[in-house]
Amino acid sequence: MDKSEHNLNRRQFLKSGAIAVGAMAAVGIGVGYLQKVTAETRINQKFLRPPGAIDEDTFIFGCIKCGLCVQICPVQAIKLAGIKEGLAYGTPYIDVRSQACDLSCDSIQCVETCPTAVLYFKQFKDAGAKAIEKYNATHKMDENYNPFPVQIAAMKSIVKMGVAKINENTCLAYQGKGFKGTPRGKDFKGVNRSPYSGDLKATPLSEKVYDEKICNICVKECPIGEKAIAMTNSGGKIVPKVLDACTGCGVCVMVCPTEEPSIVVEPVKS
Amino acid sequence: MFGKKDITPLPPKKKEDIPYIKEGITFKEWKAKNGSGHKWRNIRWTVLIGINILFVISFTLDLSLLEGSLSGSRLFGFYLMDPFNSLQLLIISAYTGHLKYLTMNFVLGFFTILIFYFLMGGRTFCSWICPYHFLAEWGEKLHDYLVKKKKIKEHTYNIYLKYVFWTGFLILAFVTQQLVFEDINPVGILSRAMIYGPGLILVWILVLITFEIVYSKRFWCRYVCPIGATWTMVGAVSPFAVKFELDKCAHCRDCQAVCEVPHVLWFVERGKATKQRHDVGADCTKCGLCIDACPGNALSYTIKGLDKIL
Repeated sequence: MDKSEHNLNRRQFLKSGAIAVGAMAAVGIGVGYLQKVTAETRINQKFLRPPGAIDEDTFIFGCIKCGLCVQICPVQAIKLAGIKEGLAYGTPYIDVRSQACDLSCDSIQCVETCPTAVLYFKQFKDAGAKAIEKYNATHKMDENYNPFPVQIAAMKSIVKMGVAKINENTCLAYQGKGFKGTPRGKDFKGVNRSPYSGDLKATPLSEKVYDEKICNICVKECPIGEKAIAMTNSGGKIVPKVLDACTGCGVCVMVCPTEEPSIVVEPVKS
Repeated sequence: MFGKKDITPLPPKKKEDIPYIKEGITFKEWKAKNGSGHKWRNIRWTVLIGINILFVISFTLDLSLLEGSLSGSRLFGFYLMDPFNSLQLLIISAYTGHLKYLTMNFVLGFFTILIFYFLMGGRTFCSWICPYHFLAEWGEKLHDYLVKKKKIKEHTYNIYLKYVFWTGFLILAFVTQQLVFEDINPVGILSRAMIYGPGLILVWILVLITFEIVYSKRFWCRYVCPIGATWTMVGAVSPFAVKFELDKCAHCRDCQAVCEVPHVLWFVERGKATKQRHDVGADCTKCGLCIDACPGNALSYTIKGLDKIL
């Protein structure tokens, strides 16, 4: 190869290299802009991150968009964001109105499966270990010794995706109304396996029929139970009230029979 | 990789040494005799489609075979990580302090995949697994047809351009604190689209493939893709390669015509080879198209150094 050809090659390389750097700068500015826009919108977004999600800024770079959490979820609550959802493209989210996380899995698998720890498992592991220790102290000699339900319950109790909030203007109970029928219609595909989590053939919501004098479906279906949401007497009315143990799983949002859900989950801000 | 300029080539082959003249037949007869099948291409397409189908059915049928996507997956419970994704993540995490939270599965997955493709020849991933490669292969055919019909002109760039992009995307990840490349990575996008359902982002794939068809042949794979560049680096030290034997070569250059990265076959031109035997460079994707095309079986898969021992 003679020298002029070599120089020509070098010039060609420098030229295309400059174009490449320019293109990458454009991509960088574009991504930076999108990041700023989504940072503003995600404060009031309606989608939740899966359980155990760490703060959003770390989540965005830590999530490699592999979708393992999507695969492992037994009720298929987790989906990957497209470019329309207003989240970082390809990151997992839960749309609780169409399918909530019902906490019915065996060990919060989505968190356990995450390779980059943006769904951070250690806190759940520690809580489970603590619960087993406590259980062992009192039940070690029991005939039917089984610490696993206690462990799983302890792990689930520290999930905090958000907090449910009731809209008092539209809630049926606040208007003294009852509910009769299937809350989300016959075509709704969502399922709530808890509080019947042992039963894998849990009845889909479209097949459940309710007949309540005062609508209390959210309280009945809550996977955590009366520590998270309960019917209370408030000024002569029997109405649901969200309590401290609410994990923000969103089952109440999914089962709410009003056209627009009268209960919403506000994502935790970190 | 870089040394070829300084070494003087062997003297050009004498006419009587050319294989078909040696046998006393014409080139056409020689080519027809030895045939040029599609053995390796068919095997490769089967593997490529098979792996991607495995991803899809693992999700749709809920099997624990090959879960996840090409960005990160789990094969029978063993994690496998995309190397460039992992590099970006490691660089950002080291800066923000997320590094200490990364799981053992991540570390194992990262090293498993590096060791696997070190043994398999680095860029083997591109032609044997990557779904975008499969699309681009058809795009390439269409491009070649258009060039032949003189509808469009061919545009080529420097092959070292991909290292500029490789460095650039790592810097960009560090500066923006985001996996910038993963947002535009056609491998991940296609893989996710196949497994979890298509989305609007597929427009980007359409833009890329159109650009490759009408402007520059295999632009993304040859000059941009940092995943391919990572595998090239791994492949540079890999023992697995395609070997070339000069005495079987008739300089017909059929192999260069089908090659996806023709610059790696620089030694097949008459008077260019510097040794009796060459191992194809790290940019080679081990696709086997040249092995299928060669009428003299001058090209074949090899493990470097093994034939010396045997």
